[in-house]
This record gives sequence, structure tokens and C-alpha cells, in this order.
Amino acid sequence: MGWWQGLILSFFSTVAFCMLFNVPIRALLAGGFAGSLGWIIYNVLIGNGISITVATFLAATGVSLSSQLFSVYLRVPSTNFSVAGIIPLVPGSVAYKAMLSFVNGDDLGGITLATRTSLIAGAIASGLILGLSIFSVWKGIVTRNAGTRAKTD
Amino acid sequence: MLKNGGETYRAEDTMALIAKAAGMKNVNSFVTPTCIILSYCYLDKDYTRMIRTRIRTIDLNKVTLVNEVSRNYVSGKITLPQAYLQLQEIDQKKPIYPAWLQNVAASVSSGAFAALFGAGVIEIIIAGVAGMIVNASVGYFEPYLRVKFFNEFFAAILGGLLALVCYKMNARLQLDLMIIGTMIPLFPGIAVTNSLRDLMAGDLMAGVSRGVEALLTALSVAIATVTLLFLAR
Repeated sequence: MGWWQGLILSFFSTVAFCMLFNVPIRALLAGGFAGSLGWIIYNVLIGNGISITVATFLAATGVSLSSQLFSVYLRVPSTNFSVAGIIPLVPGSVAYKAMLSFVNGDDLGGITLATRTSLIAGAIASGLILGLSIFSVWKGIVTRNAGTRAKTD
Repeated sequence: MLKNGGETYRAEDTMALIAKAAGMKNVNSFVTPTCIILSYCYLDKDYTRMIRTRIRTIDLNKVTLVNEVSRNYVSGKITLPQAYLQLQEIDQKKPIYPAWLQNVAASVSSGAFAALFGAGVIEIIIAGVAGMIVNASVGYFEPYLRVKFFNEFFAAILGGLLALVCYKMNARLQLDLMIIGTMIPLFPGIAVTNSLRDLMAGDLMAGVSRGVEALLTALSVAIATVTLLFLAR
């Protein structure tokens, strides 16, 4: 599969997921770009021999940062983009293999794969968090402070 | 009103901003995924209101719109009655994408996800149809199966059965790719993202409860997959 095919596929799956969550129409394309960006980062890193967990982590960070940027430019909450943007990174096949091992009675292999699944899921989570924190530091605001929010918004 | 999949701190901030702009004092709000509590002091009297949110749907469009209304109100572009009217309008709004388009979107995302893992054309089509079945049945069975997680489990089983039947008819197809694609519309993306954001913002209760919600959904999908694999043996 060529890289451009992956690009198009990740773009479409992300846009479709945006539609499932009723993302406003003007934010659809940006959501797709966030998803594709995550997929590109992931694949480039994998291609350079970096482990899946680290690649997922950095890709999720990229998705999170880009969705924050999009949210500033389009003036919609950043959840609109990040929710669908992490879809191409979901460890679907690892989770499936874990279930398969359990069903086939290979408990040890199942536990190994289940641990790997949860590691990847944790990598997505911490990547999102890192993106959020980088952005809030960069913006120099405390998210919880209603007073400053009112001014900056 | 705001519980269509927005973050907890966004709901709290929005309510506090609107209340303060309306001249109330000592505004405190507490939001969890299942209830909203707002207390305020108005004309030297204390008031407390609490609203239970039993039905939780996902509609990011509404979140965006409510956000805009509150921003406009606080910056003084619209008055309180106008804001109230607009909020009611938003509450009545139907999803911007009709049901069939959402089902098509589910099938596209299923098919594209299966293709990302290297599925062939036939597998992509099957995964797409199965994903559509999953999404449609989640909506269709909701009134009958009150338990959300059982509903998701049932939908996953229905969609997976199609993949399974196709696999039984033609064993050269790759069952794993089809099932992975089928389950994708059930992925609890909103719950995961919001849980993290809530935890980061300090709403520990809301964050943990949303995290558990995501976990339960993932678990019901996993159990459905195990059941299907058991049948496939």
C-alpha cells in the first residue's frame, strides 16, 4: 500500500467519524487533516524503526496540537478534531489478536497482547494530554480560570 | 442542555460565565456526566438548582453552538432573553447529518479502517456493510435495550455475524480485518478524549466516571469479539 493511499484512507475514515459525532460542517475538513497528520507521523516513525508505542504517543501529540491550532482558527472546541483524529491510531488489530489468543487458550500470548493494547491506548491518552499541556503553556492561560477565559475568548 | 458530549469544565465555565454576566453572585457549579448542580446568590437570596442528565448523546455541533451563544452573551452582543431563545433552539435542533448519512459515514469509516490494515476490496465492502449495520442497530435498539453497554454488545454481535457468515462462505477472506473494521463505529472516542481533558482540568470525578464509561464500552466490544471468535472456531 502506497503512502498516499494510507493518507487518503485515514482522511476519509476520520471525516466519516466526524460525521458520526455531528461535528459542524465547516470543521469536517480540518478534522480529516488532523487524522491524516496523525497517520503520517505514525507511519514515518514506524518506518524509521521506532517502536509502535512511542510512534503512537508522538502521533497523538501531533493530533492534539493540530486540533488545538484548528480550534483557534475555526473558533470551535478542539474536541471536534481530536476525537476523530485519534481514530487511525486505535490499536484495533493488536486488541483483536489478544482476544484471539484468549479464545484459543493461549493465555500467556493473550496477556502479552492485551498489555501491548493497553500500552498503546495509554500512549494515545498521554499524547493527547501532552499536546494539551504544551498548548496551554504556550498560550499562557490557565484553562480553569473563568475570568481569563472570558477575556481571551 | 450542554451534555451532548462537551467537556465538564466547558459546561461549568459556560454556566458560571452566563450566571455572572446575568448579575448573580457567588456562582458555583458542579458538573458530572450524570448531574448538573448550580448554586448562586441573586438579590441577596441563595438559590440552588440541580438537574439530572439521564440521556447522554453525542452531538458536538450543539456543544459548538452553545459555546458561541455563551461567548456572544458574555461579550454583550446579545441579551439574556435572546440567549435563552437561542439555547432553546439549539436544544431542539436535529443532528445536522440525517440518519442515513450517518450510517453511510459509519460504513465509510469501517471500510477505510479495514483498508488501513491492508484489507482487500471484498473485505472492505463487507466491513463497510457490517459497520453500517452496527451503527444502525445501535440507534434502532436503543428504545428496547435500556442498558447502553448491552445495546452496544448486541450491535457488535449483529455486525460481526455478517463478517462471520461471509468468512464461513469464503474461507479465504481475512476475518480479523473484517471484524476490526466492523467494531470501529463503536470506538468510545468522545468518552476517552473528554475523560482525559476532565482529568487534566481537575474534574477528577467526571474524568474517572467518563473513563469507566469508555472502559465499559471497550469491554462490551471485546466480549462481542470473543463471542464471535468462539463461534468462528
